[in-house]
Amino acid sequence: MKAMMIVWLKELRELVRDRRTLMLSLLMGPLLAPLLVIGMAKLGESKARDQMEQPLEVAIVGAEHAPNLVAWLHGQGIERKDVADPDGAIRSQAEDVYLRIDEGYGKDWRAGTPAVVELVHDSTRRDSAIPLQRLESALQRYSQQVGALRLLARGINPGVGAPLSVSRKDLSTPEARGATIAAMMLPYMLILFAFLGSMQLVLDTTAGERERQSLEPLLATPAARGAIVSGKIAAACLVGITSLLLTLLAFKLSAQFASGMSAMLDVRFAAMGKLLLILLPMLFIGTTLLSLLAAASKSMKEAQSHMTWLMLLPMLPIMLLAVNPLKSEPWQFAVPFLAQNQLIQKVIRAEPIDAQTWMIYLAAGFGLAALLWYAAVRRYHQEQLAISG
Amino acid sequence: MIIAEQLRKTFPARGKDKARVVAVDEVGFEARDGEITGLLGPNGAGKTTTLRMLYTLMKPESGRVLVDGRDVAADAEAARRALGVLPDARGVYKRLTARENIRYFGELHGMSRAAIDARTAVLAEALQMQDFLDRQTEGFSQGQRTKTAIARALVHDPRNVILDEPTNGLDVMTTRGLREFLRQLRGEGRCVIFSSHIMQEVAALCDRIVVVAHGRVVAQGTADALRAQTGHDNLEDAFVQLIGTEEGLHA
Repeated sequence: MKAMMIVWLKELRELVRDRRTLMLSLLMGPLLAPLLVIGMAKLGESKARDQMEQPLEVAIVGAEHAPNLVAWLHGQGIERKDVADPDGAIRSQAEDVYLRIDEGYGKDWRAGTPAVVELVHDSTRRDSAIPLQRLESALQRYSQQVGALRLLARGINPGVGAPLSVSRKDLSTPEARGATIAAMMLPYMLILFAFLGSMQLVLDTTAGERERQSLEPLLATPAARGAIVSGKIAAACLVGITSLLLTLLAFKLSAQFASGMSAMLDVRFAAMGKLLLILLPMLFIGTTLLSLLAAASKSMKEAQSHMTWLMLLPMLPIMLLAVNPLKSEPWQFAVPFLAQNQLIQKVIRAEPIDAQTWMIYLAAGFGLAALLWYAAVRRYHQEQLAISG
Repeated sequence: MIIAEQLRKTFPARGKDKARVVAVDEVGFEARDGEITGLLGPNGAGKTTTLRMLYTLMKPESGRVLVDGRDVAADAEAARRALGVLPDARGVYKRLTARENIRYFGELHGMSRAAIDARTAVLAEALQMQDFLDRQTEGFSQGQRTKTAIARALVHDPRNVILDEPTNGLDVMTTRGLREFLRQLRGEGRCVIFSSHIMQEVAALCDRIVVVAHGRVVAQGTADALRAQTGHDNLEDAFVQLIGTEEGLHA
């Protein structure tokens, strides 16, 4: 225990003297994370507002067949513009959506049979969703209006043609509605920073120490291997926790400056405390896993090459949830990354988390970290570890 | 006092050939207190591997090592307390000063701050490192780094000292100073083992020489005994005859 404290203190002293690395590992998260999340949210919000409120310019092919419709759309804030090759423009993403009016429109209209209009768009482009929706609802309204007028002209109550009146009632909380974009980004950012935040220090004190040839003398001292690894892990954890606290504080502060941020995110101290508790096991898992990997690699370079797949790990649950949304069930809170993702979502959406969930989560998280810690200690007992070069 | 008995160590082979590489085989010798024992051999003879087994970094596959009469396999921690080790790898922490490097190891040996300071003063005097004792070790010369590494290896005042090629990369003056330091350690009644591939150095310093080649001890005894055994007056000729090749001698 004493040896662990000695190693811990020495690693921290070395880190404090290495200003640049210290600044990078402490301040990267706190500066980048809020900027990214708030920036993304703001961008998305203003883009959506622009698309909803500004006049929409849409190419209309065959406008001459339906001058009345075009005039009506104009009244709804949908302007006509000319595009030479509309299909090509959609494919090259120059246009979001265009309207094609069938040649037989006039004939069908006069005959009272359904006249054909066609909306052309690319459904894989998220950007086209809002213009498409605007155009479609405008056409829908036109169709209903004219239909009602036709019924009235025949002396029939238009209500007969509408047996159902569908209305929507949205039960989502305003916080949850505001949180959609932030909810996608924020968990990933937070999990990533907690998971890999201490990366620099871990690699430097394990793989780096071996590469600088100071590990062999260290292992020739009577200090127990377990104490040496634990001291190094503890030093990295302290740096990670500090960085995490600063990140959460940065969120809290930026919420005061960015309007609408607090509507998007629950930034009360209680919520921040919960986030910290959620991220703590992640931090331990990350630090112990990195220690294990770094101890098992032959060089600093090999250790760093693990970064690629480690960065992807926190993304897996987000991809999984995007393809296959899951109902929240107890087992999920025992799966690393998925659990953090689900819990952070809950905190952001200001949903309550019950005691059982906390129990499962903390037991699984700290359990995995302990297992990885044990593996790292075992690894330090192998004799190949000490031999450098 | 360090006794090595019948040490054997092999490593897994690289490549397709699955036979294990025998690094050290049947190595045995005795290093007494108040004597300097030299482990002499060409590069790749198994000196470093032998020393690593002495200071418990590696476990021998067969044979045993006794430090002050106790088997190191039974209590590696006690053995490490009784040994001062300058390994082949001698990196120092470059963001710490030489004094802090030494203090770190003293603390890991469980020494009090006062004892560390007293011992550091003694070692700094003996190794002539007062000039750079309180500088961060980044940018140290090879000699300054080696002195720091030796001082930190000896901070706990061990009875037995193991040095792996201590003069490697040092200039003449520093080497002379280091030899003087080793004689001083001998004068204090310690057991000193050091390895080298340089004939003259071993001849100048050692009371007993253990010649290692291809992982085996090919001869051991005083310099005179080796000369008598081979019939060469020149120790270098004796050495070449013992290891059976000139390969590695001048490397």
